[in-house]
Amino acid sequence: MTVFSLVIINKAGGLIYNRTFHEGGLNKLSTNDYLVLAGTFHGVHAITARLNPVKSAPERPLSNTPGVPGGILTRPEPPSGLEVLESENFRLQCFNTLTGVKFLLFTDTTQTNVDVIIRRIYELYSDYVMKNPFYQLEMPIRCDMFDRKLLSHIREINNR
Amino acid sequence: MSNAGGSGGGSGRAGESRLRYPSNGKTIYHRPLNRTKTAELSKAAFAYLFAEMVSYAQRRVTGIQELEKRLNLQGHPIGLKLLDLLLFREPPRSQLRPLNIIALLHFIKINVWTHLFGRQADRLEKSSNPETPDEFMIIDNEPLVNAYISVPKEMSQLNCAAFAAGIIEGVCDGAGFPARVTAHTVGDTSGSNGSGGTGGAADGEMWPGRTVFLVKFQPEVLEREALIGAKS
Amino acid sequence: MVIYSFYIFDRHTECIYSKTWLPPPSAATTSQHDIPTNNSTSGAGSANSTDPHHNPMRSARSAVSAANKASDDAKLIFGTVFSLRNMVRKLGGEDDAFISYRTAQYKLHYYETASNLRFVMLTDTGTLSMRNVMHQIYINLWCEYVVKNPLSPVEHKGGAGVRNELFELGLNQFITGLIAR
Repeated sequence: MTVFSLVIINKAGGLIYNRTFHEGGLNKLSTNDYLVLAGTFHGVHAITARLNPVKSAPERPLSNTPGVPGGILTRPEPPSGLEVLESENFRLQCFNTLTGVKFLLFTDTTQTNVDVIIRRIYELYSDYVMKNPFYQLEMPIRCDMFDRKLLSHIREINNR
Repeated sequence: MSNAGGSGGGSGRAGESRLRYPSNGKTIYHRPLNRTKTAELSKAAFAYLFAEMVSYAQRRVTGIQELEKRLNLQGHPIGLKLLDLLLFREPPRSQLRPLNIIALLHFIKINVWTHLFGRQADRLEKSSNPETPDEFMIIDNEPLVNAYISVPKEMSQLNCAAFAAGIIEGVCDGAGFPARVTAHTVGDTSGSNGSGGTGGAADGEMWPGRTVFLVKFQPEVLEREALIGAKS
Repeated sequence: MVIYSFYIFDRHTECIYSKTWLPPPSAATTSQHDIPTNNSTSGAGSANSTDPHHNPMRSARSAVSAANKASDDAKLIFGTVFSLRNMVRKLGGEDDAFISYRTAQYKLHYYETASNLRFVMLTDTGTLSMRNVMHQIYINLWCEYVVKNPLSPVEHKGGAGVRNELFELGLNQFITGLIAR
């Protein structure tokens, strides 16, 4: 079980963080390629949300009849975009925060508990990036403290 | 309370009009605002507030020195006021302000630090350099104010604990020991400013955010200290 | 297990076959329109006369839009799998292959043959890998009924030659068999 790398994409589709934890898991790409990849993924993510074949039928009657006694006007959950992608060599999990930031974690195909790992990364992000007075929103992340905590967290998982 | 005089519960009301002073001597000023068992403040709330303080101080400054100066100034009045509060909270017989440098530094290391950060400072050192007998060091391995802060490379000289240094400076000034206090990062460099301290490179690796608060007293303070020492 | 839809794309990136097993979306929209019209008939008589004229037009329009939407969907699906396939190859090496992705609502399975024929299937999220199923469709249905059919053209422009009776029947049987299982 190995975590290969982490990519963070801001809400406009720009690459703001990219780190490889394990050499040889994935091909090495140039920074430019990573930027293109982030943009592509951002677009694809939006399309995959639109492709939803299930047209939330059960919610319809509820929202159509606002006067139902005791009924709460519910708005159906918006369809989510791509969450997990599998290929023969790796697995990609995407976590989309409510603020539109995407965390992409590349692991090998047998990695378990990716949800937990990615949640923890989100926590580290909100601690060591968002609370840092020198970080500018939507800009590339350059925070030593975040790097350090992230590396030790992933190292723990990869050495398990 | 003038209209309360004629009513039946006069004795009770009369007590209210005076300042209430409980028999055990613990007034409202002894108690923190947050009265739960684990009196804690949100670290996140502080972190966000401090982040904004740093960004605010960063506006309209030209250099790192000026930025540190601003942070220092923000902390200074806190130290002045905090000294009064902490001395007042001391048990009545030890309710004295520190009279010599060592007592003052211990007061800062233990009382001020515990009040502000929930623990004592890690170490206290005197400069071993004979040319600077007026320099003392308070060492904190990971200052709370820097918990979430990564200083960018181009500003590596900066240590945002200048704010905490300002608080210390305020305490020193208030106690009648005028001093200049500055904060320095000693994370990766070995030793601590050639102070002859025990902290080596290994310690520096373990505590990358280790900060030294350099307290430099004014010459008159040392003069006075020498006089007191000669008398006793 | 629920299967929502199935698509085949040829090597010219054209969608040559698509089939959905969904309740037609137009049913939901017409039923939505029914509610207000019913109310209006009970309320005012004049609305009665206009209703019969409107309803067929609406349904015709919705049928056209449904067809447009289906072809749009096919294009979007191809764009998505094409981008993802390229991304996977870039990251995982030339020998890597994109298998599937999942959202909170559905799962998309992808299978590519050596002749650059692409099969895409949309199912519910709990379904396991459908690669074998699509491989079976390729071997037992596509090869048997489309490739070996002497009447079928080499290029299936606009779906020519794919929509033959045997293939459709076989596919339907195969899928209903899977769902029932």
